[in-house]
Amino acid sequence: MSDYPRSSLLTPLLTVEKADTEEFIVNMGPQHPSTHGVCRLLLKMDGEVVVDVVPIVGYLHRALEKIAENRTYLQFIPYTDRIDYVTAMICNHGLCMAVEKLAQIEVPERAEYIRVIMDELNRIASHLIWLGTFALDIGAITPFLYCFREREHILDLFEMVCGQRMTFNYMRVGGVSRDLPPEFLPKAKEFVEYFKPKVDEYEAILTQNPIFLGRTKGVGILDRKVAIDYSVTGPNLRATGLKWDLRKEEPYSVYDRFDFDIPTGTKSDSWDRYIVRIQEMRQANRIVEQALQSIPEGEIKTKTKPVFKPPQGEAYVRIESTRGEMGFYIVSEGEKTIPYRVKIRSASFSNLAALPEMVRGWKIADLVVIFASLDVIMPDVDR
Amino acid sequence: MTKEEILKTFQDKFPGKIEEIPFVGVDVAFKVDRELILQVCRFAKENPELQFDLLACQTCIDWVEHMEIVYNLFSFEKRHKIAIKTSVPRDGHMDSVTPVWKAANWHEREIAELFGMTFDNHPDPRPIFLPEDWDQGYPMRKGWEGKDFVRLPEK
Repeated sequence: MSDYPRSSLLTPLLTVEKADTEEFIVNMGPQHPSTHGVCRLLLKMDGEVVVDVVPIVGYLHRALEKIAENRTYLQFIPYTDRIDYVTAMICNHGLCMAVEKLAQIEVPERAEYIRVIMDELNRIASHLIWLGTFALDIGAITPFLYCFREREHILDLFEMVCGQRMTFNYMRVGGVSRDLPPEFLPKAKEFVEYFKPKVDEYEAILTQNPIFLGRTKGVGILDRKVAIDYSVTGPNLRATGLKWDLRKEEPYSVYDRFDFDIPTGTKSDSWDRYIVRIQEMRQANRIVEQALQSIPEGEIKTKTKPVFKPPQGEAYVRIESTRGEMGFYIVSEGEKTIPYRVKIRSASFSNLAALPEMVRGWKIADLVVIFASLDVIMPDVDR
Repeated sequence: MTKEEILKTFQDKFPGKIEEIPFVGVDVAFKVDRELILQVCRFAKENPELQFDLLACQTCIDWVEHMEIVYNLFSFEKRHKIAIKTSVPRDGHMDSVTPVWKAANWHEREIAELFGMTFDNHPDPRPIFLPEDWDQGYPMRKGWEGKDFVRLPEK
């Protein structure tokens, strides 16, 4: 199965004359350190080998879509922070963009630049959390410490801008809530330069590490056809070799003004999902660098009416979140301050649904690696 | 393909059954009868001109008199996107599109549980989010009242 055979497969150290195997059911989670949140995996095992898995979700279901029908458009923005709390800026952006498309509101250029800077910094922060915990699941503790060290700088930048480190509530329909403070730009430029060699540092520890390769190369292959069938998007889809990124193919905001590449994988195994995200951090850093250099002066928000009522209609607007396609489907009745219906299409929900296709036949230790390589965030699944 | 070409491809296959509707954020959107939904979806995926291989989003809207199921489709090959809508009576049932896209499995489980829809021929019609002992009805329906859910007055 793997290019990097495990020693136990080469020479069995122990043999048994009479082995009875019996399939059994075992629970992994809901509280388990490697499920990254509260996800219960019901496993059908044959010894150490996973025969089948049923993901059981819903432990974090807060019915955000129901809450949305009971709040004004503006009041719902802080709730979007809680969909995917690791990339709250992008969730903010998604909702605001959907409402702007529906109400045909133009966003000032400076606000778009600020949004791109925030999105990409948040993408780096999210990938750092993922990288740290992914390495931790494999048994490498050092990258975890390194990743959280760098993430701290990004959180400081966010705190400078909006006063929050996790749930930002920063973007507004028509722009952003406040302008960048004067000390932000030099600090952010400093961070961009500081972060460049850091990615090499992570790669030096992991990319060609024989233990890491043995645990990830060829493990958990997700065929491209199967991935699309399950609506898997984002880095997990790009790892199958499909060059698809909404920032490039369907440029929203001001992404068409920046020069960046779409990293893809070739074998769509766990290692490819790793390397795609590593390269995405570099590309995100490139975008931040360009945006910081060319950010124009000007307004940061289009004035909307104090009582904001979008016209009647419906819109499905999607955005490239850290984990894939994040869509907001909004139905407005017109002349109402609250939406009639908000559907949140989260990437993790679809990505997790494909898990059973990837883990069958692998050992339980590999299941941990495959699950981690998918980068699933449970509140994003349950909403 | 342009908007007109996509619409025409569907209209040629299902004459008189495709009704265009306004929708922001997709190339074209239309309504079909719910009896046709599986055929239309299969056609959308398998027609070489259309190739809608990604079920981006599937959801339900409660219009009180009836329910509306919405499919957002996208094609990686052709780079076009559409929305298909179909109307279903409350407590009604319709065909599952899981045979066309596996992604529909979880989406339909979510809709069935929260809106009280039934999908025929669904391979795994278990609840997905709510607790196992949930007995308070279908929370995403309009007018649903729960212990912790208080409708705020609208200004």
